[in-house]
Amino acid sequence: MAFEELAANLGLEPEEFTELVELFVETADDDLSKLNAALEANDVKQASDAAHSLKGSSGNLGFMEISEVARVVEEKARGGAIDGLEDSISQLNEKLDVVRKQL
Amino acid sequence: MSTEGLSILVVDDNPLNLKLLETALSKEGYTILKAPNGPKAREIADEKRPELILLDIMMPEEDGFEVIKKLKNNSNTASIPVIFLTGVSEIDSKLAGFELGAVDYITKPFHSLEVSARVRLHLRLSHATNALIASQAAKLKQIEKAQSSMLVTPQQIPDAKFGIYYLALQEAGGDFYDVLDITDDIFGYFVGDFAGHDIETSYLTSSVKALLKQNCTPMYQPLESIKLINDVLVDVLPVGKYLTSCYARLNRRNKQMTIINCGHPPAVYVPKDGDARLIQMDGDILGMFKDVVFGKETVRVLPGDRFFLYSDGMVESPDKKIIWSEGLQIMLEACVEVRDVPIERAPESIVKSIFGDNTKFEDDIVLLGVEV
Repeated sequence: MAFEELAANLGLEPEEFTELVELFVETADDDLSKLNAALEANDVKQASDAAHSLKGSSGNLGFMEISEVARVVEEKARGGAIDGLEDSISQLNEKLDVVRKQL
Repeated sequence: MSTEGLSILVVDDNPLNLKLLETALSKEGYTILKAPNGPKAREIADEKRPELILLDIMMPEEDGFEVIKKLKNNSNTASIPVIFLTGVSEIDSKLAGFELGAVDYITKPFHSLEVSARVRLHLRLSHATNALIASQAAKLKQIEKAQSSMLVTPQQIPDAKFGIYYLALQEAGGDFYDVLDITDDIFGYFVGDFAGHDIETSYLTSSVKALLKQNCTPMYQPLESIKLINDVLVDVLPVGKYLTSCYARLNRRNKQMTIINCGHPPAVYVPKDGDARLIQMDGDILGMFKDVVFGKETVRVLPGDRFFLYSDGMVESPDKKIIWSEGLQIMLEACVEVRDVPIERAPESIVKSIFGDNTKFEDDIVLLGVEV
């Protein structure tokens, strides 16, 4: 979705929104590397925390697809099922790239 | 309302949310303070005393519930309105948040217009409340020695189901009580004791009664009513004058009795079945300080349960060298003893059982019994 539209949904100016997206990309990268590390270490708590953070920040900016995938990851991780999340993670990476390219 | 100089504290562990709220609100002219966690938030709130706090619930270590509990227990921050930030699915959290004293919540993801509208609303409410307090205070200052205020009798409000023993010594005269029918199912019972017998208290008594009538309404929770009354009294009471009090609000519909204690002896609770106990809690005095923390306990009640509110004359006697701790035990037992006496006559029986028939009273006595 175009930034202008997302910005309007939040009642923000496009420049303000772009600034927030820059911050979002930074925190999302951070969340994703925490998530990857957690999966390797089989750390359920850290995995669900990282997914929770990503779910919140993406949702708050209106990146609903990212938020939805993060939600699924959070729930699975919280339920202890952190196997087979690779698909979701690569989806998250792809979708983040799309956002990054619009900056 | 000018937004200049109004500060809002935003608390969220997610830096993006902090930034988003800051962007939305600073546009409106507010000064935004930010905290990434609970302890930092409490530190800033205590130091800067912002007009409003937006508080995330889901935070690692100290969550939003912990934070609001601590804020409400600190007299510096207790009266700052708190709006919770919650996820869509956290219905239970919202309810728990209101229980803990939040004024509202905003659901994520938030639209900046919603955030600023709610912020504006609550700032306005809190300013209106302050203005209300100021105007009540101004009106009360005009009350000259009011007609010796009438004390309500059980016959006047039979549905309140109370009994009263009231003895005012001429030279003392600091004790008084009031009973309010707030709705058909909700009643308020107040026992107060002005400290310092040097100043004429009768007009102060009428002031407090007027304030009770104005502020003990279904619009406010019991604790909110007493806080409002406190804030007005701080403005109108002569320097050094204050009162201790106990306010009990009974809601027969939801079967709850809420007791608010302001530096007063503990209420006695005598359940119809089960052991009687004192409702002990700490609470600041009324009418002295603007920022106070009062004791509050809510009890689930059943028909036949009884509560007794009273003044310190019931539980201490300098002449007989009886101190509070002993006197309280005697009082508790006396309240249980009269379980079978109808509530209208119970207070008198209690006074007789404690003081005997022909005692010289040393202090004012108020003893008010309520039956659910």
